[in-house]
Amino acid sequence: MSEVEIEVGDRHIREINEDIQECCSLGKKIRIVNTLSRHNLGIGLPPGAEIEFEGSVGYFCGGLNTGAKLNIERNAGWALGEGMSEGHITVGGYAGMSAGAAMIGGTIHIKGNSGPRCGVAMKGGNIVVEGTIGYQSGFMAHSGKIIALGGAGESCADALWAGEVWVAGPVKSLGVDVNVIEPTQEDVDEVDEILEPLGLVDKSREWRKMISGQRLWYFESRDASAWLMI
Amino acid sequence: MCGIAGRILSAPGNVGRDLVDLMDAQSHRGADSTGFAIYTIPRDEGYVLRGMGFDKEKIDTDLDDFKNLLTDHSASLKSEPSIVMDHNKHYCFKMEITEPKDLRTWVVEADSLAQRMEIQSCGRSLEIIKDTGSAAEVAEKHNVREMVGTHGLGHARLATESSVLPNASHPFWARPFSDMAIVHNGQITDYYTWRDKLQRKGYRFLTENDSELIAIWVSDQMKAGMTMEQALKKSINSIDGIFTYMIAGPAGIGFAKDRFALKPLVVIDDNGDLAAATEEQAVRRVFKEECDVINHDGPSLTGLWGVGNRSFAA
Repeated sequence: MSEVEIEVGDRHIREINEDIQECCSLGKKIRIVNTLSRHNLGIGLPPGAEIEFEGSVGYFCGGLNTGAKLNIERNAGWALGEGMSEGHITVGGYAGMSAGAAMIGGTIHIKGNSGPRCGVAMKGGNIVVEGTIGYQSGFMAHSGKIIALGGAGESCADALWAGEVWVAGPVKSLGVDVNVIEPTQEDVDEVDEILEPLGLVDKSREWRKMISGQRLWYFESRDASAWLMI
Repeated sequence: MCGIAGRILSAPGNVGRDLVDLMDAQSHRGADSTGFAIYTIPRDEGYVLRGMGFDKEKIDTDLDDFKNLLTDHSASLKSEPSIVMDHNKHYCFKMEITEPKDLRTWVVEADSLAQRMEIQSCGRSLEIIKDTGSAAEVAEKHNVREMVGTHGLGHARLATESSVLPNASHPFWARPFSDMAIVHNGQITDYYTWRDKLQRKGYRFLTENDSELIAIWVSDQMKAGMTMEQALKKSINSIDGIFTYMIAGPAGIGFAKDRFALKPLVVIDDNGDLAAATEEQAVRRVFKEECDVINHDGPSLTGLWGVGNRSFAA
């Protein structure tokens, strides 16, 4: 796969994204340089695309991803990978608020910490954070897993619906309607399967698995699969 | 959704230029108006005033009345006022005055003219420049890029809680406290409750903008003996709403953030050479090389940044 370099600088974002899409359609590996934390870079990327961001990116990077592999060298702003359905996003540093908001599939791997509301309203996929997840992470997550290796901030997993929040470190406080349960070996194996390709398996971890207490559910049906088809 | 910014230079310099760049990068967060609070080189005595007159047809009468009020308080203009006027009905002024006998008493009386001429900042060094339009438009009209100083604040406003008027723009001066200014991103939901309490204490509000309230609220706490740090911390549990605000005084800038962590603040601090903004892409206009960025993303946060990398407990 040949590699092409695309400059961000002060160019118009639409022009940059058109260049990215064109290079994707030609099957080229892309390196984005001089990113200057600009917003809306790499939105709606197609399956098979491979993109490196040299430096930090702003809001919504990798949003609506449908299968591309993105590697962000440093930090990402708010709403990283919002609404993505497939693909893989790696962030070398910190990710701002609402990373993986409303995502329905794929994997986000954050090597540093993640800001508040990580995985808010997510409906599928996995978010792995090597550091800590911020305030109210997992808020109203419908499905999918948020896995924090370092710890969690205040109000963790607040109003969780049917997703799971896994934390292997200190949790400042729990949100409302959360149950912390002892995971089965089968559960842990499932998490390790997600961590394995990232080289992050550590059998000595003491996990806390958080699931919904179901006290806020207003559906008559207790079977989440019946109402998760939305 | 508004955009806010703060800038502290390690040595006096082009703080106006940097604040314009910080706000230009955030123009999309609020197209209604833009404002700057710039701490210029401080005077040993006398004050610099910035403000707005609302009817340029009556400027001569209004200025005469204003001068008379100064004379009543044993003060006078140091030089002829500098006036900026365009097609709009309002005009903006800058004046340098000698010391009134009692600053706060004079401010109260000068505010009796506020329907005609409104003082928008008063200080040894503080100058607030605000107007309708984008950062680039306001900067060009008022020569903000050329302003030299130590630190300052910027604001791009998307009007949500009060009118789109040039005087409802940010920053707000904490009248009648000299050299105190604020910029705010968010909404205060118990605004009228607090406004009523502060008015009963004698404070005067010239707009219905909730941000004006925070400036006066914090300054009132400090007048009662609190440090700025204590006042900022207290505001988080006392004032209801969602907010990230920055308040500046001669010694530096402080910030506070609500319990819900909904309004961002990103900072680059290169050993006291500091830029803060709502969006990281704005601070990167000032610090173009990749460097460490501090994301104040969490809930209930406060902080103080001193000018000249000094500790700031004022």
